[in-house]
Amino acid sequence: MAEKKPPALTVETYADYQVITQPNPLRKVLRPVDERHADDPVARAEQALAGLSSEFAGWMTEECNRLAAAHVALRDNGFTQDSCDELFRAAHDIKGDATTFGYPMAAMAAESLCRIIEHSPDIAQVPDNLIAHHINAIQAIVREHANITKLGMADELSNRLRGMADAYLIYANRERPEHLEAVMSPGIVPGD
Amino acid sequence: MFRIDFNKLRFLVCDDNPHMRRILRTLLHSFGAREVWEAEDGATALEMYCHYAPDIVITDWSMPIFDGLELAQIIRQPDGPGNPYAPIIMLTGHSEKRRVMVARDAGVTEFLAKPISAKALYQRILNVVANPRPFIKTKSYFGPDRRRSSSNTYIGPERRNGGQAEILQQPSLLDKARAAN
Repeated sequence: MAEKKPPALTVETYADYQVITQPNPLRKVLRPVDERHADDPVARAEQALAGLSSEFAGWMTEECNRLAAAHVALRDNGFTQDSCDELFRAAHDIKGDATTFGYPMAAMAAESLCRIIEHSPDIAQVPDNLIAHHINAIQAIVREHANITKLGMADELSNRLRGMADAYLIYANRERPEHLEAVMSPGIVPGD
Repeated sequence: MFRIDFNKLRFLVCDDNPHMRRILRTLLHSFGAREVWEAEDGATALEMYCHYAPDIVITDWSMPIFDGLELAQIIRQPDGPGNPYAPIIMLTGHSEKRRVMVARDAGVTEFLAKPISAKALYQRILNVVANPRPFIKTKSYFGPDRRRSSSNTYIGPERRNGGQAEILQQPSLLDKARAAN
C-alpha cells in the first residue's frame, strides 16, 4: 500500500495506560464482492501448494540430512550452546514442516525430540540412545515413507518414541514442578 | 462478502528455513500479493522492515542471530526506527499455550501454529486487515489490545487501573513568556 503518512492517532489516556487507535490503514484493500462471482483465493493457494508437492520429498530429505548433521556435530563437539541450538532448530523445522510435506508421523517424532531438548534439565545427561532413536526414526519414516505408512508402522514408531520421551521427561523433571506442568500440558491445536 | 486486494498489500516474510519461505511465498503470490520480501533471520528482517515499511509481517519464532520474538519486541518500540503498529503474524512450530502467551506479550498480533494451511493463513491476514485492534501502552507493554473480547467471567489480575485520567494542560514556558509580554 502506498501510504506515505501514518494516519492520525487517537489517544485515550487512563490512570496507568493509554488506548491508541488509528484509522485502519489497510481498510482500502478490502473490497465488497458479489458472492456468486467471487473467486476463491484459498482454493487457488491450495492448488498452487499442490503444484509444489513434487518437491516435498526432496525437501524432507534435506531436512533429515540437516538433523543428522546436527547430531553428528553434537557428538563431535560436545553439548555446546550452538550445537544444541542447531539440533533443536533442525528438529523444530521438521516438526513444523513435515506435515505440510506429507510426513505427519515424522513431525510427531520431531516434536518428541524437541520436547526432550527443551524440557530436559541438562541435555548432556539425556541418554544418547534416546536422541539417536528419534533421529533414526525420522529418517526411516522419510526414507521408507510408502512402505512404513502402508503398514501403519510410522504411527506405532512415533507413539512409542513419544511414550519413551515423556517417561524420561517426567522422571528428569520430578523436582521441577513448573517444567513438569509444561511437559504435561497439551499443545494448542494448529489453525485449520 | 469482502475480499482482500492482495496486490495492494506488501508483506515481509521472515523464516530461516528456505522451504518454508518458498511455501509462504507461493501462498501469498497465489492469494494475489505481488510484493513479498524475504529475510532469513531477525536482523535482516528488521533492516528490511525499516527500509520497505511492509504492511504485514509474517515471522517464524526460532531463528539464528535474533529470533522472531525479539523481532516483534523491537518493532513494537513506540519510539523505534520503523512503524510500531504494523500487524505481526507469528507462524511457528511452537504450539504450547505458554508460547502463545509469550508471543502475545511481545506484541504479536496473530499466532499461527504450524503446520500451515492456506485457509488458516488467509484467515489470519483477513483478521488483521478487517479487524485491527487498538494498541495499548502501559509501563511494560506496547502492542495490540490483548483483550479480544470483554468477558464478565474473567478472574485474572486486573492490569489496568483507574478510570480516565484527568489531564491538566500546562502551558509551556515559551507560551508563559509570550503571555507575560
